[in-house]
Amino acid sequence: MNRERSRYGTVLAGLIVVLSACSSAAPPAPSTATTGAVSTSSPAATVLPSATANTWDPVLAEAKGQTVNWYMWGGDDLINKYVTGYVNDQAKPFGITVNEVTVGDTVDAVNKVLGEKSAGKNDNGSVDMIWINGENFTTMKQASALYCGWVHDLPNDQYVDWTNPTVANDFGISVDNCESPWTLAQFAMIYDSAKVPTPPTDAASLIAWIKANPGKFTYPAMPDFTGSVFARQMFYYVNGGYQDLLGNFDQTKYDAVAPKLWSLFNDIEPSLWRQGTTYPQSIEAVDQLYANGEVYMDMTYGPTETAGFVQKGTWPATTREFVFDSGMVGDVSYVAIPYNSPHKAAAKVVANILLSADAQLKAIAAGSLGYPAIDVSKLPTDQQAPFKNYAFPPEVAPLDVLVKNSNPELQAKWATTIEADWTKNVLQH
Amino acid sequence: MDALSSLGGNRPRLSPRARTWLLLSPALAVIVVLFLGGVFFGIIQSLNYLPLIGQYDLNLDAYAQMLADPAFGPSLILSVWIAFAATFLSAVLAIAASLFLRQTSVGRRLGTYLFQLNLAIPHIVGAVAMLLLLSQSGLISRLTHAVGLTPDTSSFPAIVNDRWGVAIIAEYVWKEVPFIGVVVLAALAGGTRDYEDLARTLGAGWRQRFRHVILPFIAPGVLSTSIIVFAFSFAAYEVPFLLGQPYPATLSVLAYLSYTNVDLNARSEAQAINVVIALIVIVLTVVYLRLSNRYVRTER
Repeated sequence: MNRERSRYGTVLAGLIVVLSACSSAAPPAPSTATTGAVSTSSPAATVLPSATANTWDPVLAEAKGQTVNWYMWGGDDLINKYVTGYVNDQAKPFGITVNEVTVGDTVDAVNKVLGEKSAGKNDNGSVDMIWINGENFTTMKQASALYCGWVHDLPNDQYVDWTNPTVANDFGISVDNCESPWTLAQFAMIYDSAKVPTPPTDAASLIAWIKANPGKFTYPAMPDFTGSVFARQMFYYVNGGYQDLLGNFDQTKYDAVAPKLWSLFNDIEPSLWRQGTTYPQSIEAVDQLYANGEVYMDMTYGPTETAGFVQKGTWPATTREFVFDSGMVGDVSYVAIPYNSPHKAAAKVVANILLSADAQLKAIAAGSLGYPAIDVSKLPTDQQAPFKNYAFPPEVAPLDVLVKNSNPELQAKWATTIEADWTKNVLQH
Repeated sequence: MDALSSLGGNRPRLSPRARTWLLLSPALAVIVVLFLGGVFFGIIQSLNYLPLIGQYDLNLDAYAQMLADPAFGPSLILSVWIAFAATFLSAVLAIAASLFLRQTSVGRRLGTYLFQLNLAIPHIVGAVAMLLLLSQSGLISRLTHAVGLTPDTSSFPAIVNDRWGVAIIAEYVWKEVPFIGVVVLAALAGGTRDYEDLARTLGAGWRQRFRHVILPFIAPGVLSTSIIVFAFSFAAYEVPFLLGQPYPATLSVLAYLSYTNVDLNARSEAQAINVVIALIVIVLTVVYLRLSNRYVRTER
């Protein structure tokens, strides 16, 4: 059942890629300087203690000859190429093969591990590494299905700013040395500048635009990942900011704010695509609607992927991005090792490769992967320049604009509660 | 060696009964272990047995939650509607197409070829094809716009992600007509002509020949394939997920969303929905088989 579902998901993801692809993407053109201030700067601690070398060498020795079965969402061509091409090439000198196993949804990989756990397969599991996000991380932590205590032993962990709460907490849950950062995702809105000459600058002007342009906006139904981010962004708006929402889920606070969110969504509903009588089931469906010109706006949790869509010709060349002046939601995604992985050493080496300056730089070009999860200011000075000088094609907003005022994610319980209640109060309303 | 020589007949043979069971055992093992095992785990999980999160007590909470969910009723109705409509249309169109195609030997060969070609295409491909053809920005909408029938793409009727599941039913019909059709063509190839000619010489009209000659021949095949089509279209999730609405969604989509919920507690509800799906299919299959057996017997 499980394998069946993930197979369909992968086939579907593959199909959509095949059907929408026209030509292969070119790398973004280098041009003017932008600042790559990604995470909060802190004093650099670049000394590699010899203790690390002593603990790291045995890992390298053990990893030799192992194959890492890396389960990850496989719906993006550029990311798949980055993993099977670049990352695999970097792992080869260590005698490691990276085997990317694509799934339609990360939860399929989580379910595989949980299935093995309930079947008593406590070693020799089939999953060595998962590209994971907050809610799935919470699930695996809840089921004690993660291998922990290895992240800070990675030599490149020195470039990670663990004092940054966005890094040290995954959707409000403490990372606890159980997963290693890979990339920073940043939410952004997409619009066609030919049809929307002046894009909104905040939530209020977005709502005004939706009402003034009936039928030309929609968002994916919960529990779609991107739809859920959009709902949280609007939750911040009706709450007047995110500051007092950080920390544990608070039912009293939630009950005070949520009704405002439902009335906002029900208020704009008649102005949505198909008068809001239905919602697209997934962000891919909204991407299709945008590609076909049925709606004029779209949204993404990986703003660099816009370049891929435009270069393939799927989206108009007049596509641009905007973020609210008060910033939009950002989140770090990680790689985790299941407790029953037989190739933990090789998985650690791959996680270490992902944190290197070169890998982090190349990841920016890999479509929707996002932005550096490392603190660029912790790198040696000569390695900082390529990040600070990185420039995107016109359809992607510059790095400093996107990550400016980035809003942290809330604890998973906020998201799941909003998702469930949206279904009751908006979808079934 | 033993097996080989016993097959050679030099030693006393196994009793026919034992032989039958021996030969059936690989297939039975697969059915019992994989299928019934899966059903068993589904049922106990629906009773809230979730060792992963330390739940060992059996109770009916998941069923209560399922019934309290306002989405359950509309989902049940939608699932039944889609399965009945898809099965009925598929059977009618398959019979009509087969009767038409068998008129000539070229038609029969062409029909068999077309039917078999379609059988190999997965549902998910069919679903994406329906999306590209039937959506408001799809190929057909663009054609009607090009010839001036619709002023813009959004005035094309919404038959994808619509309330009635039109695109879902269309996909199932497209896929299942050939499935039933192959069986009907095979049944018709078994020499109905002589009986039809005989009936004709006795003065039977077209309608009578169809009712009393053709239908009894094809009925067993049509009924058994219809059961399969019904069970499949009632329980499959990927086509309604792609072509349906988020609300009301089919029971299968509801089960999928519960199963993939990040909260592990929601899995009991997913399995409860799956048990309901299985029960409905089993009950309807039994009723259908009874009715059809009686029908086939009286007609023969």
